[in-house]
Amino acid sequence: MIANVPIEVTVNGARRAVDVAPNHTLLDVLRDDLALTGAKECCLVGECGACTVIVDGRTVDSCLVLAVEADGSEILTVEGLADRGVLSPLQIAFLDEGAVQCGFCIPGQLLSAHVLLEEHPHPTQAEIEEGMAGNLCRCACYEQIFDAIRTTADGGDR
Amino acid sequence: MTGSRVGDSPNRVGGIDRVTGAQQYLADLPVADALHAKLVTLDCARARILGIDASEALALPGVHLVMTADDLPTPMPRYGPQNQDRPVLAVGETKYHGDPVALVVADTRELAEAAARLVRVEHEELPAVFTVAGALAPDAPLVQDPSLRPGDRLAGGNVLTEHRVGWGDVDAEAARAHVIVEGRYTFPMVTHFAIEPHAFMAAPDGDGLAVWSTIQHPNWLQKLIAGLVRMPLSKVRVYAPDPGGGFGGKQHTKHEPAVVFAALKVGRAVRLVLTLEESFQAARRTACESRVRTGFDRDGRILFQDIEADYLIGAYADIADRVVGKGSYPAAGPYTIPAVRILARSILSHTVPSTAFRGFGNPQINWAVESTLDEGAKALGMDRLQIRLRNLARKGDRFIPFDTPCDGDWEQTVRLAAERIGWGTPLPAGRGRGIALGIKSGPTTGLSYSIVRLLVDGSVVVYAGTSDMGQGARTVLAQIASQELGAPLDWVTVVMGDTAVVPYDQQTSASRSTVLMGNSVLAACRDIQGKLRTMAARLHAVDEADVVVDAGLVRLPDGRRLTPVEVLKPGFGKLGGELTGLGEARKDADPGHPLGGAPAFFEFNCTVIEAEVDRETGDVTIDRHITVSDVGKAINPLQVRMQDEGAAIMGLGHTLMEHYIFDERGRIRNLGAIDYRIPTSMDLPRELHSEAVENADGPGPYGAKGMSEGALLCVAPAVAAAVREATGAQIRDLPLTPERVWRAINEAADAAERGEAGS
Amino acid sequence: MHTFAYARPTSLAEAVAILESHGQDARVLAGGTDLIVRLRDGSVSPVIVVDVKRIAELRPGIRETDGCVVIGATTVMTDVAADPLVRRHFPALAEAAAVVGSVQIRNRATLAGNICNASPAADTSPSLLVHGASVVAEGPGGTRRIPVDDLFVRSGVTTLVRGELVTAIELPIPERRIASVHTRRTRRRGHDLASVTLTCGVDTAGITRIAYGSVGPRPVLRLDATGILADPTSSEEARAAIFERIFADASPSVRSMRAGPEYRLAMLRVLGRRALATAQERLATGEPA
Repeated sequence: MIANVPIEVTVNGARRAVDVAPNHTLLDVLRDDLALTGAKECCLVGECGACTVIVDGRTVDSCLVLAVEADGSEILTVEGLADRGVLSPLQIAFLDEGAVQCGFCIPGQLLSAHVLLEEHPHPTQAEIEEGMAGNLCRCACYEQIFDAIRTTADGGDR
Repeated sequence: MTGSRVGDSPNRVGGIDRVTGAQQYLADLPVADALHAKLVTLDCARARILGIDASEALALPGVHLVMTADDLPTPMPRYGPQNQDRPVLAVGETKYHGDPVALVVADTRELAEAAARLVRVEHEELPAVFTVAGALAPDAPLVQDPSLRPGDRLAGGNVLTEHRVGWGDVDAEAARAHVIVEGRYTFPMVTHFAIEPHAFMAAPDGDGLAVWSTIQHPNWLQKLIAGLVRMPLSKVRVYAPDPGGGFGGKQHTKHEPAVVFAALKVGRAVRLVLTLEESFQAARRTACESRVRTGFDRDGRILFQDIEADYLIGAYADIADRVVGKGSYPAAGPYTIPAVRILARSILSHTVPSTAFRGFGNPQINWAVESTLDEGAKALGMDRLQIRLRNLARKGDRFIPFDTPCDGDWEQTVRLAAERIGWGTPLPAGRGRGIALGIKSGPTTGLSYSIVRLLVDGSVVVYAGTSDMGQGARTVLAQIASQELGAPLDWVTVVMGDTAVVPYDQQTSASRSTVLMGNSVLAACRDIQGKLRTMAARLHAVDEADVVVDAGLVRLPDGRRLTPVEVLKPGFGKLGGELTGLGEARKDADPGHPLGGAPAFFEFNCTVIEAEVDRETGDVTIDRHITVSDVGKAINPLQVRMQDEGAAIMGLGHTLMEHYIFDERGRIRNLGAIDYRIPTSMDLPRELHSEAVENADGPGPYGAKGMSEGALLCVAPAVAAAVREATGAQIRDLPLTPERVWRAINEAADAAERGEAGS
Repeated sequence: MHTFAYARPTSLAEAVAILESHGQDARVLAGGTDLIVRLRDGSVSPVIVVDVKRIAELRPGIRETDGCVVIGATTVMTDVAADPLVRRHFPALAEAAAVVGSVQIRNRATLAGNICNASPAADTSPSLLVHGASVVAEGPGGTRRIPVDDLFVRSGVTTLVRGELVTAIELPIPERRIASVHTRRTRRRGHDLASVTLTCGVDTAGITRIAYGSVGPRPVLRLDATGILADPTSSEEARAAIFERIFADASPSVRSMRAGPEYRLAMLRVLGRRALATAQERLATGEPA
């Protein structure tokens, strides 16, 4: 039996200490131990992006990160985007522009868009397409997601 | 977006939970004490099970159950929406790559997975059939034992059903045809790839049973499970949380029965969340090989269509035979044709059971028929738009005799699409255009009940059994209630997905919900309006017949306009109360009709593509993609756009990149997301433009028709036609991968060099 | 996923000791984008996973030292692709790093991991070959510098020995500018595993280096010192003859489901021609710089 490893992470601004099994991914721990089920499980090979979260300012597929690796890091999940119940401009734009259909991929899409806009406050079409390519949407709301990103960029902050 | 009435595009009802992560899909539901299940499958397409040794798996602490066929009733319970052919677990023989032989139940998912790996299944791999030719070979092994098909004259072979439709005299028309063209086309197996994999859960619930499923048809599942476990419907409660994408793949029961039996055995909640790979092995589109022969007169009028389509279904019928029958029925297209002969066959194979998939069985055959029409235009030297307009059915035409007549101004749709792309204007070198039309029959039968409650403060609760899997049914139904009862949209709650609470709905399929459930909710609202009228008449001492309730307002004969609350509050007085409306929308079966009923409407679409082809690599770039659908009335225009564009892009997936790849033993080689490619944000048309034609001529509320599948029907033929115009290469197999396009370009160039007529 | 122990050494010596004592039972975890997939599918089942990201000597970063650009072993693709030194001196490497997977993957996948996996389809290998890169490996026997061309054996197999760990990748800053370009073939425009990868570099002395991958058990580097490829005025026929020599060692698998051998071989030639044209253009214009 392999012992669990204690880790400390800051998730959506809150310090969390949790003992994790070495073979559990960050996705497992977020969903099962921290009850943050906004990150979704789909392909488990880093292709679909449904499990995207932001670790130390960068998006990762949390299915391909061991939870132990995240020790000491700062994590933002979809649950942390709204501020005390007030939706962020990006979340509002996703709704306004019709970027949400079934919604299963949307947490990941939002987090990728969030970082994209941090890095490129006024992204070009090519930057949007490239920046969002790691998040599959089978409802294929891609055009509407692009619209939401542009609307947010035009509106100033996120 | 603002507004909440019909014709506005308010934000999605339930949208906020979807952008905050609060939306709970089945895998997210916190269920205390739920055990985890894992399927045990074999790495072969077909095998004889010689023995199963679960001792090692059961020895792991925390493993509760390894359920095999031996643990289930004898004879093995079988189920299926068409034929009761699917066992709860494989008995004696596995029939396809992924057919489960056992279900492991353990404390954690990790443990269940570890235990599943320890279940030793002694087996002997058997020859499998996984192509049309293989299944039809004289010495082909039978996929289904004839005992499963009593009284079936075809039971000695792998053809499950032959569907024949036709009218006129094809041979006579052929004799007088000026030009006859013929082509063979193939459409591969593709899969839904909803981003939410299928998931199921079951738990004992008092003296009954609770079942959770990502299913699109909760009532159908309820009936099926009640039958399997012999419980009254009232004791089987199905929860159907909003699916994270369905596209048809979640219409029918998959592994719910196994999970139910397991939950009953362990007496606790058992949850099975499939991996994406397992979802690929749970649902796919029916593949098709077709031969189309079309004859024309000198002026390009279609004289006949002679169509044979072999649809390769899986090891169990699921709903696939209906896919074949209904999909092939309007195969001749939206054209008025004197003679048509269609033979479509459902062919069993040792492959994943195919099921419904957006477009049902139509995209497969439309690919062949529309492409053949282009071959005819070429032979006649006619413009491809003109040949379609010449033959297109006009409103009221019985283009399929004895069926629903043409129910829209389809020419308007076609002309709009052609105009948007600038059909006939010059193209730069290396580019080509393609056009295709498509129809799909809407629901042929249906029954949707609903309950609407108008609460004393004017807010509204709607109970509707439709599944909102992303298509936006919840929003559309709320808009109808808002329109009729005057409540703002955020005062309307739509309750779905719980058979103990929500009244019966037959199913969420065939783009029916706006029409059928929409009409049902409309009727329930009208029921309430009648009660409001009575109440207002009583309160104001006027004749009920002189009170009008319309668009959420109560109008008295003296011209006063009251809100519903201004009637309800005094009407109910101190005890309070609410008005309840019952809705029903029904489309009864017509036993005389080959499909069991004529369709409630047709989905009609015209797609025009402009594409650029890299002749050296075979890369196809979609420059412009115009898709126009006849929707009758867009209750929510933004959602119409989302559905049409989503269908268009999904169509680009099967057109350009998607297919199952098999090894020589019938195992799927590209299971999972690495080698099964779907479009990403970088694979879109440079310009994607969708439009809806609205003539309010549909059978749904305010003249709506069903929509959301139409924009997928025409993508493949339109893209292939554009590729052909750009390169001269005629491709009859999908997908149009760079390699396939490159090969076709080279073959066309070689043929041209040899001086052959363009193939 | 199988269970395994997790080690997070903080010094190189500690890491080497763990790797040496466990040998094949240990797996190095850098970005994890390949390893975790394989841990999950069971194709590897190590006893211990050694996370090298907290090793002081292996901090991510790209710096210029002694005429070389040195890329730390834990440097991720995102940073390789964006680095000004890499972009100036080794444009093909920046391009290759920029097409590895999605943003999320590039934020985790390391350059060292990409080559240590020795996948024939690895996007960065041809660029490293063209630019004469070496890996620096620390092991029980001390430090070795292994030219990347001597590292690859076949898919998944390198010449690294038990206990050896790559600490950095070194690319010599060319005395004569090498204008390079990375190209690839995929099944879609969005991220995909390449069915052909090819890097072409042309230097000011007229030497052309072409490296290609995904068409055999390991990536291949070939040189044209005749000056024919580098010469924009040379004839199509003359170039074609050289390309035939250069591509003679391509032996794509018939088993691949990503593309057939005939297509791959044809695309090698298309990519070769196109990459050469771009490289020549870059050499002439000094772009990108």
